[in-house]
Amino acid sequence: MSTKEAPQQSRLLRGVHRTLTGLHPVLESLIAALVGLLVGAILMSIWGFHPWKAYFALIQGAYGGSYEWASSLSRATPLILTALTFSICLRAGMFNIGAEGQMYMGAIAAVCITYFTLPPGLHHIVGLIFAAVVGAAWSLIPAALKLMRGVSEVISTIMFNWIARWLALYLAIYVIVDPLRPEKTLSIPLTARFPILVPRTDLSYGIFVSIGFALVIYFLLWHTATGYELRAAGLNPSAARYGGIRTKRTMFLSFILGGIAAGLAGATIVMGLPPTYAVYGGGGLPQLLNMGFDGMAVAMVGRNHPIGIIVAAVFFGGLNAGGRVMQFYGSNPVPLEMVRVVMGAIVLAMSIPELIRLFPMAKKGGQKLIQSLRRATRGTIEEESA
Amino acid sequence: MSEVKALNQDGFFLRAERITKVYSDGTVALKEASLEIHPHEIIGLLGENGAGKTTLTKIVSGLLPPTRGRVISPKGAVRFASPREALGFGIGMVHQHFALVGPFTAAENVALSYERPFSRLRLTKIIEKLEALMEESGLQVPLDVPVEKLAVGEQQRVEVLKVLSRDVDLLILDEPTSVLTPLEVDELFNLLRRLRDADKSIILITHKLKEVQDVTDRIVVLRQGEMVGDVRTTEATTERLAQLMVGQAIEQEAVELSDKELPVRKTRKAVDRSGKSILHVENLVARGNTGKIAVDDVSFDVYAGEIFGIAGVEGNGQTELVESLTGLRVPKSGTATINGINILGIDPRQIYRLGVAHIPEDRWELGLVLPFTLAENAILGVHRWKEFRGAFSVLKWGKINQHARELMDRFEIRAAGPSAPAKSLSGGNQQKLIVGRELAKDPAIIVAAQPTRGLDIGSAYYIRQTLLDMRGKGRAILLVSADLDEVLAYADRVAIMYEGKFMEVCSPDELDRERVGMLMGGVTAAKETA
Amino acid sequence: MNFSDIISLLRISLHAMVPLALTAVGEIVGETAGLFNIGLEGILLMSAFAGAIGAEAGGPYVGLLVGMGVGGAMSLLFALINTYWKGTQMVTGIGINLFAMGFVAFGLIQLGAPGFHDVPRAVSLFKIRTPIGLYSPVILLALILPFVIHWFLKRTRAGLMLKAAGEMPEAADVAGINVNRIRLLAAVFGGAMAGLAGAYMSVAWLGLVTKGLSAGRGFIALACVVFSGLNPLLALLAAFIFGFFQALAEWVKTLPSKPIPGEFVSMLPYIVTLLVVSGAIGRVRFPKFLGTPYKRE
Repeated sequence: MSTKEAPQQSRLLRGVHRTLTGLHPVLESLIAALVGLLVGAILMSIWGFHPWKAYFALIQGAYGGSYEWASSLSRATPLILTALTFSICLRAGMFNIGAEGQMYMGAIAAVCITYFTLPPGLHHIVGLIFAAVVGAAWSLIPAALKLMRGVSEVISTIMFNWIARWLALYLAIYVIVDPLRPEKTLSIPLTARFPILVPRTDLSYGIFVSIGFALVIYFLLWHTATGYELRAAGLNPSAARYGGIRTKRTMFLSFILGGIAAGLAGATIVMGLPPTYAVYGGGGLPQLLNMGFDGMAVAMVGRNHPIGIIVAAVFFGGLNAGGRVMQFYGSNPVPLEMVRVVMGAIVLAMSIPELIRLFPMAKKGGQKLIQSLRRATRGTIEEESA
Repeated sequence: MSEVKALNQDGFFLRAERITKVYSDGTVALKEASLEIHPHEIIGLLGENGAGKTTLTKIVSGLLPPTRGRVISPKGAVRFASPREALGFGIGMVHQHFALVGPFTAAENVALSYERPFSRLRLTKIIEKLEALMEESGLQVPLDVPVEKLAVGEQQRVEVLKVLSRDVDLLILDEPTSVLTPLEVDELFNLLRRLRDADKSIILITHKLKEVQDVTDRIVVLRQGEMVGDVRTTEATTERLAQLMVGQAIEQEAVELSDKELPVRKTRKAVDRSGKSILHVENLVARGNTGKIAVDDVSFDVYAGEIFGIAGVEGNGQTELVESLTGLRVPKSGTATINGINILGIDPRQIYRLGVAHIPEDRWELGLVLPFTLAENAILGVHRWKEFRGAFSVLKWGKINQHARELMDRFEIRAAGPSAPAKSLSGGNQQKLIVGRELAKDPAIIVAAQPTRGLDIGSAYYIRQTLLDMRGKGRAILLVSADLDEVLAYADRVAIMYEGKFMEVCSPDELDRERVGMLMGGVTAAKETA
Repeated sequence: MNFSDIISLLRISLHAMVPLALTAVGEIVGETAGLFNIGLEGILLMSAFAGAIGAEAGGPYVGLLVGMGVGGAMSLLFALINTYWKGTQMVTGIGINLFAMGFVAFGLIQLGAPGFHDVPRAVSLFKIRTPIGLYSPVILLALILPFVIHWFLKRTRAGLMLKAAGEMPEAADVAGINVNRIRLLAAVFGGAMAGLAGAYMSVAWLGLVTKGLSAGRGFIALACVVFSGLNPLLALLAAFIFGFFQALAEWVKTLPSKPIPGEFVSMLPYIVTLLVVSGAIGRVRFPKFLGTPYKRE
């Protein structure tokens, strides 16, 4: 359409414009988080609690001191990985909702390394490999179903979640159970446990596995040809095929990587969580429960980017850690479950693009700002017309 | 209708006054555009892509609200909240991209705008009405077939019938002829003239200078949202119209292509066909997406230093032919080789390595990954080549960005930089990016499908010149285009494609407009005499 | 295994079919119009909870109505976000599921018993006596509704409008149909049906609310929809098949000698779902614009 004569620009203005448009996704996540917390506050007051006291306890419990930070990071560890499961597949154009099930199977696989004796270091690696392979395998069947029979991966991964839950329960209760304490499985031997990073906390070296894997994925997706192909296929399969990319392969690859991530998540919990370093069969796998779904929330708030996911995971991990403190704080403590309510509200808020547009005053202010910036910088960027 | 005529003392049916439209993202589509529409006239609405033609008519027909300005009739101001209200008033629009529901039949599509929600569908009544209408207007269409199975020309007829069945006084057609053979265009224009004589108003949106001078009474020109010209057709010259459309004097050659007479190629030179051809196709047969045969026993050769053009209305197998030759479709049978090496049924990447460049006909769907940056798009298809990729498939972003900048330089691509998202580029610049990317492969043969479709005159001309340059450097070019003038002007040899077959392969000098029109419509010399 | 066992099995199947059938038929209407609601699971859970509370407050009918209301409201929010506010359907659905999980667990704690809550018998819906056992009237509704909706989609103009909105919203818009409004209405209907299904579970059938009550039924209903190719009659069939396997799983658990461990039996419904969905695909066609918000340009 029109390319107006570009008036003399101040570089500062252009830079600001670019930063704002670049930061836009970050802003959206922030706003969604705020909206979610607000919704939580409203619900809390309806049920008769003091939201601000509760949030105070939450923040204290999440970031109040080094112990609290360590707790948050510890909870963030598996979230980073399950979030990556969702995000990698999303970037390839697939909806992999199966992190939960893939994680269960990975955890069970990790427990199985108790049957070997190996030196430390090697034992850790073998445990991670077991978990990764089993997680990937669990993720491959829905992928194959999609490829060969066109089955919606949404449905198949969810079904596999439930199948995994029951299978894992069975194995935990009957097969790899600890004969002395039947409510849990065998514990990971000392040689395979992740050492604790911060004394007297439950933050283990597992965090390095998570962050390391996230960085590997970042590098893979943005700095290799394979990652380029995956992203292209997810954004425009026709153009990808035109570019000689085999979309079936990228799809498969994403599911494998996603399964590996989820499996590793299971491993970090089993191999990194004191005091028992095992899976609890009784009570329906409590330490693992819902890590997969929470991971999806983390993925969305993290805009499906590994760096964003790390930040979002620390936030959500903080919510969980803080929640534990919040539920004992004060005379009328807020139960832990409220944290999931807040998470759900945040994701709901995230699903509305341009959330800010719904708030009239903020919308007007924001629009004025963007319009003035646009007027100032027009001419350097071509606009597409309707 | 006669009531309207009696009522309006001022002699107009509808008047759009100082319409301004600003979209929510700040784009100014229209600036104080005014238009007066009278009964008994055909108005040509002329302008380049993005000039605002579609926006203006959408506002007039109720699909969009104006930001400022109003639409008035002799009875007072009119404001349409929906196309339905506009239809009730007597305004109907035939869209460029048909507003038809694929799996529905023609009758069901018409039924959509009738009847109350919970009533039983009375399709028989609608069918009766449509049959009467078909008699009257001369448009024939099967009424019980799902429209997605109809040919494009037939689909357009359904659209027109849909609108006519509502007894409209103002008929708006958006680029209706791009999917028609010259014969069908003549039929359509005759229908329009008949409607005009029945006191209807017609707005014909087009960017084709020849057409607009052919059938209209009045021509209105839009440029970048502003009304820059309103002349009687008889008083308008091609040069003046082109100038109004673009805003400045443009290359003589570009204007020549819009003339009524087919231009004589000044730069045509002899092509050396003594040696082997670069591209050799023999008895190619390919199925389309519906399973029907789309390419029906096609054979031809393309030599170095020549432009081989394939003309014909879209939908006659050109797309499938190009797909078969570029690794996007596996043909049923036949052979095709590049310098002797087979290119059928193999990966696009391998085909690119053999020296093939492919400028795809749909730049958004095939040619670019829009959310990707300019640099990322610049390596699409060549992203695994050694210069861009190191060990362990790691991408060399330094080299890639440099390559992108070189492309921007060489092909005058206007964008913020290599990291600008492709969707921020204008259509012309996007196409230049694709052309640049493909030519950077230093190909032996360039397959260009609809390379100038939807582009402004400047960009179109640039790309055509680029292809001529390549021809001069000894490359082979396969040019597939529904723009007849383009093919006839630039090709050394041309094949007219109809229903999957090559009707004729000859030099463009041997063809005149009549003959071409017939061939495109499937009529061969033999049939003519019968 | 004797005759009365089979009857008992079929009876439970019928009960189990109801929430699946109702939810699936509702979702069919929504998907025809172009909305893919993955948050059905959350809606089921919330309405089961809300229905139980409503029933305790005002009797079984109130409970069912409250369930429908909650379901419709949640779907309304879903639709609003994804039509007028141009959101992403997948994300909204996942958000609904998360929110519901947390809310119901939270609410159960507030009601006193963390994890589960009994609905007093006095408040359960009445049952019709037949020679072959007691049946809830909601079952009748679940059996009739698919036929009604099937007729509605095929033979009324509103059905045509819905299909147009899902298949080619631009064409519908040009024909004067308010695409967003029709999607909203379709979603509210779908949500009300899912809400009824949820309330049915807590009030009329199982008589209790747990934080895991839905047990994947929302997703199984989605599988029914996929299997049915948006044909309500086939969805009913699918719902019955899945319900049967759920009943079978329960029945096997009650056998004195346990031939198969309970955990494997519990897997059965999900495995069957997978098999059916894998086998049935290849012939169904979904609306082209399913999952995409409509922008008028």
